[in-house]
Amino acid sequence: MILYDGKTYESSEQDRLLTELENRIPEILGKKQLSPEVVIEAVECLRNDLLEGKFDDLLASFPADVVDSYKQQAEALLSKEHLHKKLETELGNTYEYTTEYIKGFNQIRVRKMPLGVLFHIAAGNMDFLPAYSLAEGLMTGNINILKLPSADNGLSLKLIMQLIGYRPELKDYIYVFDTSSSDIQGMRKMAELSNAISVWGSDMAIAAVRGLAPTGVKIIEWGQKLGFCYITKLDEVEDAGKELEGLAKHIAQTKQLLCSSCQVIYVDTSDMSEVKAFAEKFLPFLEAAANANRSEEIGVRARDTLVSYTQRLKSYLGEEERHDNVIRGRSCSLIIAPDSELELSPMMCNVLVKPLPRENIGKVLYEGRYHLQTAGLICPAEDRKYLAELFTRCGLIRVTKSSDMSAYFPGECHDGEYALSRYVRIVNVEE
Amino acid sequence: MKLRRKLFASKDPYDCTRSQLFLDACKENYSHLITHCDDYKKISEGLGIKGVHDIKGVCDIPIIPTMLMKQHDFRSGRYMVMATSSGTSGKMSHVRFEFGALMAALRMSIKVTRYHGIMSFRPCRYIVMGYKPHRSNKTAVAKTAYLTTFLAPAISRKFILKHTSEGYKPDFDGIVKALEKYEKGKAPVRFMGFPSYTFFLFRLLEERGLSFKLPKNSRIMLGGGWKQFYQEAADKETFYKLAKKTLNIDEENITEFFGAVEHPILYTDCAAHHFHVPVYSNIVIRDPDTLEPLGMGKTGLVNLISPLCKATPILSIMTDDLGILHDGSTCPCGVKSPYLEIVGRVAPEDIKTCAAGAADILQGVKV
Repeated sequence: MILYDGKTYESSEQDRLLTELENRIPEILGKKQLSPEVVIEAVECLRNDLLEGKFDDLLASFPADVVDSYKQQAEALLSKEHLHKKLETELGNTYEYTTEYIKGFNQIRVRKMPLGVLFHIAAGNMDFLPAYSLAEGLMTGNINILKLPSADNGLSLKLIMQLIGYRPELKDYIYVFDTSSSDIQGMRKMAELSNAISVWGSDMAIAAVRGLAPTGVKIIEWGQKLGFCYITKLDEVEDAGKELEGLAKHIAQTKQLLCSSCQVIYVDTSDMSEVKAFAEKFLPFLEAAANANRSEEIGVRARDTLVSYTQRLKSYLGEEERHDNVIRGRSCSLIIAPDSELELSPMMCNVLVKPLPRENIGKVLYEGRYHLQTAGLICPAEDRKYLAELFTRCGLIRVTKSSDMSAYFPGECHDGEYALSRYVRIVNVEE
Repeated sequence: MKLRRKLFASKDPYDCTRSQLFLDACKENYSHLITHCDDYKKISEGLGIKGVHDIKGVCDIPIIPTMLMKQHDFRSGRYMVMATSSGTSGKMSHVRFEFGALMAALRMSIKVTRYHGIMSFRPCRYIVMGYKPHRSNKTAVAKTAYLTTFLAPAISRKFILKHTSEGYKPDFDGIVKALEKYEKGKAPVRFMGFPSYTFFLFRLLEERGLSFKLPKNSRIMLGGGWKQFYQEAADKETFYKLAKKTLNIDEENITEFFGAVEHPILYTDCAAHHFHVPVYSNIVIRDPDTLEPLGMGKTGLVNLISPLCKATPILSIMTDDLGILHDGSTCPCGVKSPYLEIVGRVAPEDIKTCAAGAADILQGVKV
């Protein structure tokens, strides 16, 4: 399904519509600029309707507690006030101004403007992310081409159509394609129509997009990151059991699928027997959380088991790091490894546990510098400030409590940058 | 592979007394695999099965999931023919068969089809509700659908999926025209292929108010599964009724096959429409959380075991189907072996990670 000019079309019409879009874009750019107020109003209408239960049937496939949590988040984050705050935080002053007079130089007017056309290659690992990414493109006044992730369940398109329903003028700025990722011609055409490509994905996927993009197009990368939890002086941590429970819940709830999810638990030691002792202590917490978060649906559980098992076999084949020292629990495992490398775990509640003595933190984080994002901390209160400083100095973007590694904090940046600021450019006009 | 030969030479394809021979044939196959396939050996050792002495029962044989076969190409010896899975999610398994496997498969096919009365010397017309063979199509579905048209001498073969410059396209109107012609003739008509297309054809005929009185002994043979078809929720009763209404084919002349390229055993439904496990294979239903074997009547992952093939390690595989194994001893058809019921599939494989967000770009495209 394609969404073009506010109407839906069959996927087979893609080539024709993309050719038509090439003529349509300059017309729109030449005619007007989208005001963020229009977008904010449409998003708020969506929020209100969501809270009134108008989309409950669309959300029927999600568990009830997930729907409740989505509604709670929407209530706060999609409100007019929050969106205005987001604009202000991420873009700063958007009003046009004239530079001060400096003798010998002419003055200029300075203004933030949209990039033009944004091509979003969104990830499918978070519900609503494609729609959210598009909304950010709209808030900055861009024309948006969105390629839906292959795993999208149709929800994104429905939400986007709702936005157009509230404010029909948005239709000129929204073009959604369900192009298959194997349709290289289609993707290239979309890239060629764009000023910038906003892409979410692994190093290899980003390299692929770089290869696809014409020279000159700006590539806004939201690359793959690896989260970890650092544990030190567990005996001195107040209510350590609760902290471990929080970490286990985080792992089970995200199934380690997010960039911020914990892949590795580092224990502040170089003694492997301490690492093993920690893993044995943590296993019951993880097992309990994994079972509490176990899907009721047999198809999902069977899929997760198959994926874990397949990963395990791949490790024997040498395609994945092989770990012989594994403590297995029901629906989860702790993989004890003697090195300190920050790496992707097999996910689905299969966590790596490694030693990382404090003095080696700098070295390990430097080696993992391209993938740093979130660190959870379990430490005595007096160590927290020092470790947070150390981690951020070494490249971390977020330092959180172990239970909050994937939590959203209003006002937070993403991978060290504000998305909206990457979607605009600054223009200068001589007075 | 003496034991394989012996097993596939069993007179009764549903002989329940040959479980020891089956296990021994599996051990024979296992011994070949660990000496001819390094990857299989690594997996076996990784799983703690160091040698044939660690295999006490069929449950102990290392299981290779088809999910892994789609990501990793296994080879365990010389081969004559290669087939691929249909690759509904874009990824395919490659399975290679050596001469001995092909001979065993042929023996099995003859025994099973004879047992179910599908083999006939009476010439007939085939309507294949599947792919027309084309050099670009190596899927086992296309090959087996075509092979099935040799179960009785063919006067003609008509295919519903035609290879065009834009890929495969269904040609329903062509089939309707053929039916109009065949109705007037004497030769029985045999339908073979995907249940989904066959069902769509029934509905199309029903919508157009068309019905045909096909010659006596016409049959419908279904294969390729109902996998992509659960949404339609076509229950089999409706299917049988429509077959009678639109084509005048009785329920007893509708036979369904089940199989997979990674487990090329011919499961054929009995008169009570049960897929009994033949002597050539074993099925273990496994716990969806722990992969431990489950008893009869419980839903789990389907682990299919057969010592048919040497050239690819498909001795014990696990599909992404969910199924139940039922006690077959009370089946009215007389076959005593357990029977398999497929009840669904695991959730879509595309685990949605940050890393995978745009990674699907790479799977289809080499940029």
